[in-house]
Amino acid sequence: MTSQPIIRFDNVTMQYDGDDAVLSDVSFEIEPGKFYTLLGPSGCGKTTILRLIAGFIQPSKGDIYLNGQRINGVPANKRQVNTVFQDYALFPHLNVYENVAFGLRVKKLKQAVIDEKVKEALRFVNLTGYENREIREMSGGQRQRVAIARAIVNEPEVLLLDEPLSALDLKLRTEMQSELRELQRRLGITFIFVTHDQEEALAMSDEIFVLNKGRIEQSGTPTDIYDEPINRFVADFIGESNILPGVMIRDYYVEFAGRSFDCMDGGFHPNEQVEVVIRPEDLEITAAGAGKLQIRVDSQLFRGVHYEITGHDESGNRWLVHSTRKVRVGEEIGLDFDPEAIHIMRFGETEEEFDKRIEAFTEVGDEN
Amino acid sequence: MSRTSKGKWAWSNLYLIAVFVVLYAPILYLVYYSFNSGGTMHGYDGFTLEWYGEVFSDTRLLIIVLNTFVIALFSSAISTALGVVGALAIHKVRSLRAKNALLSFNNVLIVNPDVVIGASFLILFTIVGLKLGFGSVLISHIAFSVPIVVLMVLPKLQEMNPALIDAARDLGANGWDVLSKVVLPFIKPGIFAGFFMALTYSLDDFAVTFFVTGNGFSTLSVEIYSRARQGVSLSINALSTLLFLFTIALVIGYYLINRRGGRIVEAGARP
Amino acid sequence: MRTSARNYYLVPYVAWIALFVVAPIVLIVYYSFQDIEGNWSLGNYAHFFTPVYMRMTLSSFWYALLITFFSLLIAYPTAFLLTRAKHKQLWLLLIILPSWVNLLLKAYAFIGLFGTYGAANAFLEAVGIGRQQILFTDFSFVFVSVYIFIPFMLLPVFNSLEELNPSLVQAARDLGASPWTTFRRVVFPLTIGGVKSGCQAVFIPALSLFMITRLIAGNRVITLGTAIEQHFLVTQDWGMGATIAVFLVIVMAVIMVVTGQRRKGARG
Repeated sequence: MTSQPIIRFDNVTMQYDGDDAVLSDVSFEIEPGKFYTLLGPSGCGKTTILRLIAGFIQPSKGDIYLNGQRINGVPANKRQVNTVFQDYALFPHLNVYENVAFGLRVKKLKQAVIDEKVKEALRFVNLTGYENREIREMSGGQRQRVAIARAIVNEPEVLLLDEPLSALDLKLRTEMQSELRELQRRLGITFIFVTHDQEEALAMSDEIFVLNKGRIEQSGTPTDIYDEPINRFVADFIGESNILPGVMIRDYYVEFAGRSFDCMDGGFHPNEQVEVVIRPEDLEITAAGAGKLQIRVDSQLFRGVHYEITGHDESGNRWLVHSTRKVRVGEEIGLDFDPEAIHIMRFGETEEEFDKRIEAFTEVGDEN
Repeated sequence: MSRTSKGKWAWSNLYLIAVFVVLYAPILYLVYYSFNSGGTMHGYDGFTLEWYGEVFSDTRLLIIVLNTFVIALFSSAISTALGVVGALAIHKVRSLRAKNALLSFNNVLIVNPDVVIGASFLILFTIVGLKLGFGSVLISHIAFSVPIVVLMVLPKLQEMNPALIDAARDLGANGWDVLSKVVLPFIKPGIFAGFFMALTYSLDDFAVTFFVTGNGFSTLSVEIYSRARQGVSLSINALSTLLFLFTIALVIGYYLINRRGGRIVEAGARP
Repeated sequence: MRTSARNYYLVPYVAWIALFVVAPIVLIVYYSFQDIEGNWSLGNYAHFFTPVYMRMTLSSFWYALLITFFSLLIAYPTAFLLTRAKHKQLWLLLIILPSWVNLLLKAYAFIGLFGTYGAANAFLEAVGIGRQQILFTDFSFVFVSVYIFIPFMLLPVFNSLEELNPSLVQAARDLGASPWTTFRRVVFPLTIGGVKSGCQAVFIPALSLFMITRLIAGNRVITLGTAIEQHFLVTQDWGMGATIAVFLVIVMAVIMVVTGQRRKGARG
């Protein structure tokens, strides 16, 4: 059952005078109660989307709906959404309690109500007892929690998070990732999370929107996007990959690196030029001569959980392999992989076309 | 601290102390002779409080002191309000060119020689038909204090993370809430610094006031000038001592407020 | 489009600019073209370019230069030593404190100090030089002016020295520069901005002093400032006074533009 989207963008374009569009003709729907991530490199327009939802800026073209109501022109202070800012934007002249109480005070709620709600929100983020602390006395992680408490105390329908973890160190960031995810489950409201960190996006989200140059390149669950990137940008941006030119000789049969392989993709023209993606962890190292491909090892780095090995094949393609097996630089090794590990991308295919092809092709497959 | 030798250290401190002594000598000289029963600024004859008595029995002088403070307080309060508005205006302007133009206009009264300001205000008031006196002096002091307040407040505004305003809006604050609950509290140290600067500028001003004061009305600076031109009178010394103590109190107040707000804002007086 | 809320704050502020910045300058310019009877004339300018006023202008500039030079000479080392001193903020405050004492009082103090029987002469006599006429000389004028302007020079220089990254000095030393070379090649060039704004803060007011000339120099020195005061308040020849004021405004603008542009260039 699909419920009514809580947020809908209808062909939204955002353009500042004279400049190129920051966002061009973007449409999407956000369902209630899910964790969404807007993922992309800096300048891709992800923060712009967030600011459009928050109401800090208004779209140049197109419409934005919140709960089915068009909200173009509604100022930020009149929208039932709240934001956790990148650098938290906590008010330095107010203590923790007053920061959290800010939104309630401007709504002129009774002191008793404010008191109760602030306490509740602070309990939610495990900051009970910190009410009278000054902001400058709080650590980065604690500030993060104050910022979250300050936002959720207003009971927003949508919580917007603008790269809230980017200022934290790695360990704290990983901790906060699961905490945020847990928080979203407990609150049951929609989170829209902006990040440029693909690992963060994969770890936390129900749905990911991959953005590039003001457009949504691909959207879907983390596994969809990781396993079936629709183009080179997505494949490259999400995780690490070997991307090689190839020719789709016929459906389920692809040629690359000078050889032909069985694969699981179809719906192509015969002999169509394509790009082939194989994730480095899907490659298995075998003895030289065995396996489907032979490469010579150029470098090896120990990454803790695995070795990161680079090498090249006879046709000069560079290969990246993640393996727990140690090799020697200069050594000849074999690579083995399953047909499932091969993912084929059509040049210039949009997400819509991709979905259509997959659908048509699956139907055909079913009939067979 | 990279002091290579002890000798260097001594010389540098000696130099500082010498500068320090020269800077304070005239003031202490005034204070010292304010207790001189001899009646001149040389030849100390003996201790007396006579000149202080004279100051406190000189009604005309006391009224002038009162005038000076009334002018200073009113002008700095009003110019602080105007200056804060001005700083907000400049801060809000997006175009860099317009911003720079406004700043240049702002700075004209700061770099313009006092004599020119005084003379031009005199013309202005005469053309408008404003009678010279309390009103003209007050307006002049407000006018020349506004740009200082702007310069004190503007850096604070620029220091403020713009996301704070977004955050306040996001939490439901309207324009007035944003101003009163976020912006003004944030720039408070700048506002105080501006107010104090305006106060000292007003108390210290001589040249502009001299032009626009007219006949019946006088401020301390103008009064001291006219008395000093007639020669030495130790009641001026007594008055200086009192003013010096007051200045120190003011500076300590300013220092305390500023220390709370961060570093010392560069400050100086008008010539 | 960005929500461009109207900038209502501009209204009172621009009104202030119009009334007290633009209008007075326009009026000054207007008056400079009026003769004493209120007719349009270029007479004031013709008069300004006669030897009497030219000599006055030159001597004004000369004194202002002297005052600026000596202020810098004393203020720069002071600021330099201050940045290295312990408790430098306290020292700085102590050095600025006298500048907050009413200017007139300080000038008045020098009347006593430099007087025939004042402390300065007592000192000279004790040293064996004997009494001198100190008050009402060029020396006393420059001395008192420098005394008054030192804080104006000191603050900008101090601030620029404070902004100087200390590792630059260490880098210069590390690369083999002597302390003097380090100062000449690294410290001074990097603080030239502060020196410029200090010179600006001293030179312009020094051009237009009139109170000190009257009290300390005893009308021996006539600066442009004194002339303006004379014309406006004594001889009531506003046109001539306005003409000199226009000249000062132009000088000020030129100085501002020159120092402003250079600073921009130095940063880029």
